[in-house]
Amino acid sequence: MAKLKLALYWAGACGGCDVAVLDINEKILDVANLADIVFWPIALDFKYHHVEAMKDKAIDVCLFNGAIRSSEQEHLAKLLRAKSKVLVSFGSCACFGGIPALANLTTRAEIMERVYVEAPSNDNPGKTLPQTKTQVAEGELTLPELFESVLTLAQVVPVEYFVPGCPPTVDLILKVVNALATNSLPPVGAVIASNKTLCDECERKKEEKKITKIYRTHEIIPKPDKCLLEQGLLCMGPATRGGCGTLCVKVNIPCRGCFGPPAGVLDQGAKLVSAVASIYQTNGDEDIARMVNEVADPAGTFYRFGLSDSMLKKKRLQRR
Amino acid sequence: MKKVSIDPITRLEGHGKIEIFLNDDGDVANTYFQVPELRGFEKFCEGRPVEELPRIVTRICGV
Repeated sequence: MAKLKLALYWAGACGGCDVAVLDINEKILDVANLADIVFWPIALDFKYHHVEAMKDKAIDVCLFNGAIRSSEQEHLAKLLRAKSKVLVSFGSCACFGGIPALANLTTRAEIMERVYVEAPSNDNPGKTLPQTKTQVAEGELTLPELFESVLTLAQVVPVEYFVPGCPPTVDLILKVVNALATNSLPPVGAVIASNKTLCDECERKKEEKKITKIYRTHEIIPKPDKCLLEQGLLCMGPATRGGCGTLCVKVNIPCRGCFGPPAGVLDQGAKLVSAVASIYQTNGDEDIARMVNEVADPAGTFYRFGLSDSMLKKKRLQRR
Repeated sequence: MKKVSIDPITRLEGHGKIEIFLNDDGDVANTYFQVPELRGFEKFCEGRPVEELPRIVTRICGV
């Protein structure tokens, strides 16, 4: 079999997804046997013009991580879509918006003001903000336009597969590598992770789900073997796809939902709100008001990794 | 004036590009380093519970 042509790209991301690929350690040699890497900014010195010069569909598989929040990232998404036979939405940012999508709780103008004017480390008395075009003595400099909202990859271009996780775990990445090696990719549109929820895969003891108080994580030390939600900690387990190996709950930290909604769930946050509402014991409006107050940051907790992909987000799907 | 673009800068965390302007003699007249990316942690961390920040700001850089 001819070697595959593999590309990896990061859009609005932290680089953790790229490093996760390196975390497969010596198995990276299997990847090297299987594929020639033709584009990977974190590791190799290919430029954008190299990609532009490729024929359409010249790349067999592109693992695309990061959210789309600028015209440059949108351009790269469209470019790599055109050049790739298989485009994989890789990691929580590309799949659901991820942590960068928390910016959808604010506006572009507020971000610019905070970052370039208000932040205490600035020295910017003229309140200069980045411009898409700047004239300098030698010519013109350009920057991409920052969109008003953070988008998922699939909101910009069609995508064949989704690999969730912040970052995707080594097991999942090896699953993708093996599927490529044996030419046994799942049907188009598949999410390469578990089809169960995190709760289904969690080994903690689950008894009766009844709570009378929601705690913040620093307020209690949870028992290590009992369901965290039953102990009053908001855990995204019931509303989150499994396949991560329950890494966070294993170390006594509640899930924050980085694998996104499970199959059949439209809105991850609404699903968890529904779950919490059904187990919180109340005797009327006063208790309900208390419960609402006990959730310190509803949007940032229930939609920690998923704002772009949520129903909430759709209200703000404009780019300027 | 001739312009040489290095885009993207590779093998580092984050996004950057370099624009090099050359004068008529082919010498470097000026060079600009630009960061064509912004996510806005400075803003969207506001309002998040402090105990949650270790799991948010770790995504500034995952390298």
